[in-house]
Amino acid sequence: MNPSTEPQHPGTADVEVVIIGTGFGGLAMGAQLKRHGRESFVLLERADDVAGTWRDNTYPGAACDVPSHLYSFSFRPNPEWSRFFSPGPEILQYLRDTAHAEGLLPHIRFGTNVEDARWDAAAQRWTVTTSQGVFTGRFLVTATGHLSDEALPPIKGLDGFTGDVFHSARWNHEVPLEGKRIGVIGSGATAVQLVPELAKTASELVVFQRSAQYVTPRPDRAYTESEKQLFRRDPDAMADHRSEIFWFLESRYAERRAVPDILDKARSQALNHLERQVKDPELRARLTPDYELGCKRVLISDTYYPALTRDNVTLEASALDHVEGSKAISRDGNTYELDVLVFCTGFETAEPPYARLVHDANGISLSDHWAQGMEAFASTTVAGFPNLFIINGPNTGLGHNSIVYIIEAQVDYILGALDWSRANGNHVLDVSARAQERYVDELQQRSDGTVWLSNGCKSWYIDPRSGRLTLIWPNFAHEFRYRNGTFDSAPYTAAETSAAR
Amino acid sequence: MSRTELAGGVVEGTITVDGVEVRYFDSVADHFATGESSRHPLVLVHGTGGSTRAHYGYLFPLLAGRQRVVAVDFAPPVPTQGPLTLEHLERQVVAVLDAVLPDRPVTLVGYSLGAVVAAAVAARHPQTVRNLVLVAGWMKTDAHQELRNKVWQRLREERSQALGDYMAFCAFSGPFLVASQALGDSSPALTAFEPNAFTDVQMKLNRTIDISGLVPSIAATTLVIGCTHDQMVPKWHSKALFASIPDARYTEITSGHAVVIERPAQLVQIIDQFTDAPSRDAAGDIVATARP
Ligand SMILES: Cc1cc2nc3c(=O)[nH]c(=O)nc-3n(C[C@H](O)[C@H](O)[C@H](O)COP(=O)(O)OP(=O)(O)OC[C@H]3O[C@@H](n4cnc5c(N)ncnc54)[C@H](O)[C@@H]3O)c2cc1C
Repeated sequence: MNPSTEPQHPGTADVEVVIIGTGFGGLAMGAQLKRHGRESFVLLERADDVAGTWRDNTYPGAACDVPSHLYSFSFRPNPEWSRFFSPGPEILQYLRDTAHAEGLLPHIRFGTNVEDARWDAAAQRWTVTTSQGVFTGRFLVTATGHLSDEALPPIKGLDGFTGDVFHSARWNHEVPLEGKRIGVIGSGATAVQLVPELAKTASELVVFQRSAQYVTPRPDRAYTESEKQLFRRDPDAMADHRSEIFWFLESRYAERRAVPDILDKARSQALNHLERQVKDPELRARLTPDYELGCKRVLISDTYYPALTRDNVTLEASALDHVEGSKAISRDGNTYELDVLVFCTGFETAEPPYARLVHDANGISLSDHWAQGMEAFASTTVAGFPNLFIINGPNTGLGHNSIVYIIEAQVDYILGALDWSRANGNHVLDVSARAQERYVDELQQRSDGTVWLSNGCKSWYIDPRSGRLTLIWPNFAHEFRYRNGTFDSAPYTAAETSAAR
Repeated sequence: MSRTELAGGVVEGTITVDGVEVRYFDSVADHFATGESSRHPLVLVHGTGGSTRAHYGYLFPLLAGRQRVVAVDFAPPVPTQGPLTLEHLERQVVAVLDAVLPDRPVTLVGYSLGAVVAAAVAARHPQTVRNLVLVAGWMKTDAHQELRNKVWQRLREERSQALGDYMAFCAFSGPFLVASQALGDSSPALTAFEPNAFTDVQMKLNRTIDISGLVPSIAATTLVIGCTHDQMVPKWHSKALFASIPDARYTEITSGHAVVIERPAQLVQIIDQFTDAPSRDAAGDIVATARP
């Protein structure tokens, strides 16, 4: 089934809730609105299919690194997951099936790029301008993802590169890679999945590594037919399996909190993995991180290190500096003759693209509002931006558990907010600036002593402008649901609301 | 008495009780002691053969971010004082409370034999123990426990090679053992734990526990936590405590007796949410654990 074959409805529409994005976030929001009997909503999607991350990331080897039975919706358990860590196309299919089975396709407007969104104080509505017309709604939910707009570092001479260039999230399947000389720029979560695949057929593969990563074993395996049958026949067994995975991952939060014994154990597990898989002491040294474990995403792979020991693979332990014709030259001055450059350089994160689109009643954008780094009350609402909810926005990222769990908690919060507003004469929800400040201050306090703020830790979780931890939820995942999963009207009814701005 | 400052602002100290040194740990920093979400300090009491490090190595630092946490390490009493009794252990806990948190109400948390001690302390010191958390505890040793204890005793006396495996078999749930192996995570806790002379007298004490007369007088707001797959203190013991303590609510964790190793983060969650609002769930409630 291809959702993009659904008819499109161009033009203006007025609905109760306008949702931007149809990845895990947008689909969860839509499905729950539907399940709660709310039909007046649209999902605006710039692409022509659902699934966001999993539609875009089609590179060889793409898979989730949180086990599938947890990296999926609690309200749509899937007994069919083929593996502990299922491959990308299976996740894409799961999300397509979700959109279909939850009855969301009639609500989705594909090929609809949101260009601007403004709060109209008089009408008490959001005006959302898109490539396919204008939509208005009492509530705006952004679910545009935090890893959806690729980041390309400015590389001198790249324009004149004689070969093919693309980003891992915009894979060019037309370019044949067999027997080619390929440069992979970056050594993060994507590169670790991609490199072992490319190494199999490339004549030569160069990995440009700016900084070494911690890599731990990946306990992947296929589910047996009898396990899948048990999950089909006994959904409780599947729920128990999900819980088991959740609490196992949750226990690892102690590593991020830098509890000495626990962090030591995790670090030595990663370093032992390196030692077992890489015998050459010189290569091993280049692969040994110089910062604390957990500062950046801890990667899992059993095939990355072995790939780097192959004869056709070179680890260049410095960043790509510039390009001259067919030559890629590293910061350390090494030159490689290459046919293809693949950028695995991650995504725009500190300043999310949606922040430039969304404006308050005075026309000030969220991104100007967030000049010193993004922040939100309950990681979801922003003072001065009434009836706006941000899914997967400030302080929602996890280093140790599934983002889908966080998204579902946010969706529950939003449902509660919509119910409360409706029950109170369509009360406009503008959170008090003071409540937001208090929330953010406490988060920063709770971040003290975590590895993200440890010496020498430099990662995309921290806003370079303020040095604050703006992407990560610096606590247990369960604490997010406890704090932020249930709507409480108090911070939205305080006298200081909006007037204080 | 002694006091030494450790990393992270934690103080390690000792006090003398019945002629022996009893060690304790104190996180000192009093988060949330006042204000709208005021919390009493948490005092942790470990189980048989344990210590703060062995049983609360995970919980102590993670709970300490939320309120002050104090933990007691039981010490073997002087042999000339006769066999180890519950009262010895109670006195050690009370002495630490008096020395470290004089005149302060506390939330007392006990695990396994520590839960037995905590329940007894709570019954006798209602002014101090305002809230009580009993994890995998019991009030009267039954035939099932006696049988397991007897096998343990026998293996120990015979210096059997099987003792370590037997203890792991009793302590961990089947699902956890299987999953740990699949995840390649042979945590050190799974390797044999070495019993010593103090373990022996605690095991002996375990055979004769009966605080059933004391438990109904517990006034504290109490949370009883049973472990679904517990083979050492099966969950019916937790249910019995739940039934006997007037202001008790009950919840269950899917784990074996070694819940502090199998589900430490869930234990933090449940204890933290209880201390945040002890009476949120009403007395008599059986509280379902949240599904992730
Ligand atoms: C390769 C890869 C692997 C990952 N693996 C994991 C994992 O194992 N576990 C984990 O927890 N997380 C993982 N993540 C993080 C992942 O981003 C999230 O788990 C999740 O997919 C985010 O869902 P989302 O709905 O918030 O955003 P997205 O999936 O990014 O969806 C956002 C949608 O919004 C649309 N959109 C954006 N802007 C506009 C606009 N202006 N107008 C209209 N539509 C717009 C986009 O087209 C997209 O469809 C991974 C990320 C990547 C890149």
